[in-house]
Amino acid sequence: MIQSILDAISLGGLYALAALGLGLVFGVMRLVNFAHGELITIAAYMLVVTVNLPLIISLLLTVLVTAAVAFLMELTIYRRLRGVNPAIMLIASFGLSTVLQRVYELIFGALPKSAVVAPFLNGAFKFAGLSITISSVITIVLTVVILLAMGYLVEKTSLGLQLRAAAADFRTARLLGVRSNRLISAAFVLSGVLATCVAFILVVENPEVNPYYGVNITILALVGIVIGGISSLRGAALGGFVVGVILSALNTLLGNGRVYAYSWLFLLVLIILLVRPGGFLSKGSELERV
Amino acid sequence: MPLLEVTDLIAGYGRVEVISKISFSIEAGKSVGIVGPNGVGKSTLLQAIAGGISPSGGSIKLDGVDIKGKKPEDIVRLGLSLVPEGRQIFSGLSVKENLALGLTGRKDKKGSVEAILKMKELFPVLSTHENHQAGMLSGGQQQQLAIARALISEPKVLLLDEPSLGLAPTVIDDVFDRLKQIIALGTAVVIVEQRANLVTTFAEETLVIRDGHVQSRLTPADAANLASLEKSYFGAGE
Repeated sequence: MIQSILDAISLGGLYALAALGLGLVFGVMRLVNFAHGELITIAAYMLVVTVNLPLIISLLLTVLVTAAVAFLMELTIYRRLRGVNPAIMLIASFGLSTVLQRVYELIFGALPKSAVVAPFLNGAFKFAGLSITISSVITIVLTVVILLAMGYLVEKTSLGLQLRAAAADFRTARLLGVRSNRLISAAFVLSGVLATCVAFILVVENPEVNPYYGVNITILALVGIVIGGISSLRGAALGGFVVGVILSALNTLLGNGRVYAYSWLFLLVLIILLVRPGGFLSKGSELERV
Repeated sequence: MPLLEVTDLIAGYGRVEVISKISFSIEAGKSVGIVGPNGVGKSTLLQAIAGGISPSGGSIKLDGVDIKGKKPEDIVRLGLSLVPEGRQIFSGLSVKENLALGLTGRKDKKGSVEAILKMKELFPVLSTHENHQAGMLSGGQQQQLAIARALISEPKVLLLDEPSLGLAPTVIDDVFDRLKQIIALGTAVVIVEQRANLVTTFAEETLVIRDGHVQSRLTPADAANLASLEKSYFGAGE
């Protein structure tokens, strides 16, 4: 039971991180970046490929490469599309996602690559007579630390203030001097850093990395963003968390029926959206903006 | 040499030309009013000067520097701030945070603390409500916040788009009193207004815009005897 709760919280935390990465970019660009999944994938590949290096070096390399891919994604594709119809940007992000999957296939092959990343995180320990996996505890600790750091960045720093202002009204933020290119680049780089965190946690539990590795979690994080309220980072993170917890709970409760876990999840999402169309953290007025 | 010199400015949205060949100039410590009915291009003119939209022709010189087509975030650093229509304060952020955002446009970050103190002195209401959400302020307080936020970058030229919008008459007087103080400190102020009488009396020169071009130029002396003429231009009432 305790293990199930821990699993639910850690999965929720993981989805919250993924949703936060998506939410950051959406905030400043009104872009749902489907290619965020491919940032998670490249980070996972990097962790597996550099597994023989000391963990800290491997992590640093991974962050650098993933943030660079995120940065280049914006510089080469999205920057040129800024100001066009949001639907076009959405399609572009689908396209970019597919292209990156093909590129990964070319570089790393279609078959999964795997390696045991951070082996000390596998295994379990006894606590009050219960067996608890180390990874679930580490995931929770890591998630809390990252969320707190992100919270500090967004709430207390000048960059965070600019991100919040730009998310609310980019035009006015620019009139006040917020440099649009720099700020959007920063949001992408941050989303790359968050994608690395997500990939690290994922890879510890499932080291079989294929070109579609990050797709699933990205779609579920998007669901989280939608039910949490797409226009606030807090809502995005909370929505991601809720989706993770629900999914984990469904997996436990449904037993053999867990193949239907997604169906139940989406049914719940539908109900939530019928009751609160703007997400549960939204105010009524935010509806038409989405 | 004038501080801001707009010559034959042409701007619009997409292929629709909203303003055609508008020219005016303003010197330090002076004010220019811009009046005209709804939809004649007053806001477009301000947006084109501040970089919100890219002009398709003409020239804009700020203190001798050509700013036409520059990004708004660069123009504010060169010393021109716009208080946009409807104030556009960040209602979800605190008053303090709104003011801090104004600092992003400062060229010299050193004087930031002093600049904020100066604004609080000029608009005392802002320090009383410092930690409140800006959206909780009254309309007049929000207008003061919007002006203070634009002034924190210490612009040479301040553009205001309908500062009286949605405000009670006594509050409007208060806002214009503050503007007088700001002008006295040497800032050049351009005010777009629907309330023609108010701004014609206030500003040294007032442009009447009609269908995207300057129809006439008024001075405060014209305000009184032109009142009836204006009625014919703008229809009954303001």
